[in-house]
Amino acid sequence: MSGVRRWILFGVAATMFFACGCGRRRNTIVIGSKNFPEQAILGELLAQHIESRTGLRVERRFYLSGTYICHQALLAGRIDMYVEYTGTALTAILKETPKGDPQAVFERVRNEYARRFGLIVEPPLGFNDSFAIVVRGDDARRYGIHTISEAAKYTPSWRAGFGYEFMERPDGYDGLAKAYGLKFAGTPRVMDLGLLYRALLDHQVDIVAGNTTDGQLVTGSFAVLDDDKHYFPPYQAVPIVRNEVLRQHPAIATALTELAGKISDQDMQRMNYEVVGEHKDTAVVVRAFLHSKHLD
Amino acid sequence: MSLVHFFLEHREEILQSSIEHVWLVAISMLLAILAGVPLGIAITRKPWLSKPILGGANVAETIPSLALFGFLLPVPWLGARADRLAIVALALYALLPIIRNTVAGIQGIDPGVRDAARAMGMTGRQILLRVELPLSLPVLLAGIRVATVWTVGIATIAAAIGAGGLGEFIFRGLAMVDNRVILEGAIPAAILALAADIGIGMLERRLRHPR
Amino acid sequence: MNATQAAEICIEFRDAEFRIGGRPVLKSFSLAVNRGETLVLLGRSGSGKTTALKLVNRLLEPSAGEVRVEGRSTLEWDPIRLRRRIGYVIQEAGLFPHFTVERNVALVPQLENWPRERISERVHELLRIAGLDPEQFARRYPHELSGGQRQRVGVARALGADPPILLMDEPFGALDVLTRAEIQREFLELQRQLRKTVIFVTHDVREALLMGTRIALLETGELAGVYTPQEFLRATEPIAAAYVSAFRADVMPQTSAKRGGQ
Repeated sequence: MSGVRRWILFGVAATMFFACGCGRRRNTIVIGSKNFPEQAILGELLAQHIESRTGLRVERRFYLSGTYICHQALLAGRIDMYVEYTGTALTAILKETPKGDPQAVFERVRNEYARRFGLIVEPPLGFNDSFAIVVRGDDARRYGIHTISEAAKYTPSWRAGFGYEFMERPDGYDGLAKAYGLKFAGTPRVMDLGLLYRALLDHQVDIVAGNTTDGQLVTGSFAVLDDDKHYFPPYQAVPIVRNEVLRQHPAIATALTELAGKISDQDMQRMNYEVVGEHKDTAVVVRAFLHSKHLD
Repeated sequence: MSLVHFFLEHREEILQSSIEHVWLVAISMLLAILAGVPLGIAITRKPWLSKPILGGANVAETIPSLALFGFLLPVPWLGARADRLAIVALALYALLPIIRNTVAGIQGIDPGVRDAARAMGMTGRQILLRVELPLSLPVLLAGIRVATVWTVGIATIAAAIGAGGLGEFIFRGLAMVDNRVILEGAIPAAILALAADIGIGMLERRLRHPR
Repeated sequence: MNATQAAEICIEFRDAEFRIGGRPVLKSFSLAVNRGETLVLLGRSGSGKTTALKLVNRLLEPSAGEVRVEGRSTLEWDPIRLRRRIGYVIQEAGLFPHFTVERNVALVPQLENWPRERISERVHELLRIAGLDPEQFARRYPHELSGGQRQRVGVARALGADPPILLMDEPFGALDVLTRAEIQREFLELQRQLRKTVIFVTHDVREALLMGTRIALLETGELAGVYTPQEFLRATEPIAAAYVSAFRADVMPQTSAKRGGQ
């Protein structure tokens, strides 16, 4: 029956297509990032550095929705690496309670990721991107507040603005409010990270949770309140890589080690500002940075 | 860069995501068929099963897809891998049309044919395999076609929970505010849905027997 | 012909009853069918004749009483084995639309695991017996055939594994007058040769008189009498008489004024 035979042939062809179509070209790796500018910068940084050091082709898959999406993509092999933050990895992925010391957190994350997921956590890139509780510079000066504890007196009459992840994460809003006994006027407004600072300036909100590396902090309009109770765990930026990729391309490990400790808090703030505040092209900003550090 | 140029530049990514997408759809449709057809057959044998089975599938159907993905996240083995979870959720969605069409297909067979089959001493299994299933195939395929086209669409939402597929372009494009990236996902997804519709439709036509 | 003389009882209804949801469709039905005879079940629609037929091959089971086939109650038989010994012909033939004529006719021999050449031979033989040229018809599909041709295939299929019993439920009812007459004649001739035990259901008096060795009259689920064709025409019982006078009026309208028999 030629009809049946045709279907069998089609089935065999389809299976073969799937089998070899699933493998990527051997000298290409995929770098992912979460969906905010700092992540795209870091992803681009890894990409350019690896391209120049190893000659591999890098496919960029940036602006994946968030932590969970990136983690799943890594597990499924759809991306080969992305930059995560140690505190986030600890609480959101490993679901453990944060314990303060940065080195301890890093080692815990590194060991657990290797054990549970077969993923390699590379040394920190240098900066700590923690949550920053930010108020308008004027308010900080007027009330003379420098720490979150000091601000706790005034927050009941302030409106708060937070991003989605901060609201949902165990190391976010809930824990913070408990640790400092914070109360706000009404429920916190939830909005896109990119709109928080604008809303703060426009007096739509009076206190926001941003990040310590936000570009806007380079200007003088805002003040970061000190986390005096050390509530927020450390959020050191670390590249996380699939084991198979490192085995296939050992040069990547060398390239990543070279980046360890090269990006300070201020470096990250500045790059963020250039991209978000001055609307410069991410690739251009990254290239300039690598050049300035003699890494190109 | 023109759209065509953009697509050509990223053709490998697009192909890769398309394959992921087809994989999601294929496995979940397979599961839905493996579960749905026997359930449909069971209903034709014991009509009282119709309420619980169809009722259950209906409930799964009414839950918005994103919500269903979310519900399944905490489930131990499922939630650990987003693609696993997505496949199960997609299969649950596809169940209703498949069960319904299995039942309709079998019940739509001329009762004289079934009587004649029984009267000739065919066992229940023989009647099922040699008469009922072959004759209900066109209706069943119609249900599979509808379910597949739905699944291609709903699978784009699966990217929101990290299952990959063409939806990932759409979400990334939204985050980057880049229409070209959105289209990188939307256009292939639409083409896949069309291809499934046309392909299975052709299969239906070839198997249709004038009664 | 004396139906009670040295006749072997093949099928027997003993006080058989069939109820649907409490309502009796067939009640106190007692009848014996002899081997080799053609027993016609005559009655209006709803009289229970199809029900009685389906009790024989156990498509239905009696709510009370019993039906015996070849000496054993239908409930004692393995239903599959019982049905393999009974050919079943229905009005719309019930041919499998996705099988060729050949595969349809070969169905029971195939279920009985006959060797392939024997099946093929048998199919060709049966098609010829049923009045169809095997070369022309074997590979066609039911939807390509006329009503009469389909019915012939139905008969051929029923005869597939040479069952001793045939159940026929208004098999020629959907055919036009000429085709029906032709196929009735051919079936009579066939029956003369094969001598199967046949139960033939119809509402058509003419067909009953033509086909049956005996006629069992059913009215509202009860047996209203058993007659040979001649006895039927002379019958004085009200129901039988009503049928006969309707029949005469139908056939010989000018003599309807002449009431009574001959």
